[in-house]
Amino acid sequence: MKSILLSSAVVALLVFSGCSSKEPIVDETANNKAEKPAQEVQAVETETVSAENSSVMGENAESQSDTNEMSMASVENELSSVYFDFDKFSIRGDMEDKVSNDAQVANGAGSSYTVKLEGNCDEWGSDEYNFALGLKRASAVKKALVAEGVSANRITMVSYGESNPVCSDKTKECWSKNRRVDFKLLP
Amino acid sequence: MKKIFLSLLILVSVSFASDATIEVIKKVDSLPSLAIEDGSVSYDDTFRLKFFKTLVADMNVISLFNVDRHHRIVNYDDTDVVVQNKDMNYVFRYKLIEDDNGALSIQTKLISNEKDVFNKKYRIKNKKVYMFISHAIAYDINKFMGAPSVEWMKRKVVFSRITSPKKSEIIIADYTLSYQHVMIRGGFNIFPKWANKQQTAFFYTSLDHQKPTLKYVKITTGDKKTLLSSDGMLVCSDVSDDGSKLLLTMAPKGQPDIYIYDLGQNKYKRITRFGGIDVNAQFVDDDKIVFVSNRLGYPNIFSKRISTNEVEQMVYYGKSNSSCSARGDYVVYKARESSSAFSRNTFNLHLISTKTDFIRRLTATGVNEFPRFSKDGDAILFIKNYKAQSSLGIIRLNHNKNYLFPLKSGRIQSMDW
Repeated sequence: MKSILLSSAVVALLVFSGCSSKEPIVDETANNKAEKPAQEVQAVETETVSAENSSVMGENAESQSDTNEMSMASVENELSSVYFDFDKFSIRGDMEDKVSNDAQVANGAGSSYTVKLEGNCDEWGSDEYNFALGLKRASAVKKALVAEGVSANRITMVSYGESNPVCSDKTKECWSKNRRVDFKLLP
Repeated sequence: MKKIFLSLLILVSVSFASDATIEVIKKVDSLPSLAIEDGSVSYDDTFRLKFFKTLVADMNVISLFNVDRHHRIVNYDDTDVVVQNKDMNYVFRYKLIEDDNGALSIQTKLISNEKDVFNKKYRIKNKKVYMFISHAIAYDINKFMGAPSVEWMKRKVVFSRITSPKKSEIIIADYTLSYQHVMIRGGFNIFPKWANKQQTAFFYTSLDHQKPTLKYVKITTGDKKTLLSSDGMLVCSDVSDDGSKLLLTMAPKGQPDIYIYDLGQNKYKRITRFGGIDVNAQFVDDDKIVFVSNRLGYPNIFSKRISTNEVEQMVYYGKSNSSCSARGDYVVYKARESSSAFSRNTFNLHLISTKTDFIRRLTATGVNEFPRFSKDGDAILFIKNYKAQSSLGIIRLNHNKNYLFPLKSGRIQSMDW
């Protein structure tokens, strides 16, 4: 009786599986079922939100202004990056001399090139606003260069937001190095 | 007296019932219990456990059950549930089978009160994309339970990841980012945005040219098209529901403003004219947008009609609200709460309704960014960074629940859902 039952089960299996050659695996695993103790998987992390308020404080980042971007051309080396305050796109007082110097280089040794201004931001906020901030920084430098006599037609701008950092530590000093406009020369 | 109070209560709850800015607090204990039983006959233990974990997470995210997390092995055809699961309201049982063609096929059933109440089979050619079956199962169970659709579970996420300075990849993933396929490798390509509801193509910005350039890629064929370029910056911020119009942030003269671009006519029109920063425009309807502007001296959320010049401030809370996502009457925005990156609470997400004055805080700790509504507005996807751990978060607005999935994808530049 038992063997009839077994063989009919096998027949049924064959019918359902379309004579699959892999089907015997079914029996194998069925025999070892529930041998191991059940493993509990990690809970899905959840977050509870309470209505707490925290104040927003202003911040004045420290300035850091003596690093230059290394670049290919020697003229490019004479152009120094301009640094900015946190969430600001106006040119700081201590940067004005640099911009004047950059304008002189651009009109002197670099006069046959197009000047590309690359606006950059720190990693605070990685969204469109940050890109626009980088662009406004480049734009502020462009205006200053134009005021110093560089032709506006020779200047192009691009913003890299926070995606072109020169420093990747999580310190205020590091972030202040990333809030900058770099100069690149194009033929 | 009691009756008056009662009817007042009912009136209040009815009038606020559909407002997601008001927190809905449900007791976890009141949810029915669900256990998951594994009756797999193929694949090794590692893969079986991986599938089980994914399914537990998905069943949690649908927020209808109190899900038991024990991985219990059964014979799929047994009539009785495992003894430890006797008291469960529901038992979901599945069987993973590798069929003759090497495809993964899955038999499933939902058991309640000793009866099979739901049966379905799934099949997928490549087992590497098993998470999509898991999402589909959760979607079907959710539908079977009669809950509002979780269509978003089946949708894909497109995101860009910075690999090194000025280098990035554009990747397509499932909503938990556990499946990842690199679509565009090499170069500096950012701000991907789905081009249509079907997710068959996306827009992105390429920074490999002299000027930022907007491109379009068809996923199925890999065909690329160049649309337009602008000095300074060019970002596709939103795509209209019918896919015919784009909201762009461009700066042809160095001034970041919002433009509307008609794909059919290949024409664009400037719609904001402020000398500071206007970015991140989102369609509320065909004629109305919300966007981020620093016109008050700090970034905040504003709205305007496309056809008129009048601008309205949307948010009165938070000193630095630098990004937003809109869906119907709701706007979710990111607010800076502290200027210290080392505090436990730096950027949080908040939800407002254009119809009421309520603000609901959606996150409590860490740096929370990239809020993205699902197409139906039922869920918000976001990235949380907290204590050196990055996670992908899902906020179920109507269930008042946030779910976090640890992330191994590196630094995300931008994403779209």
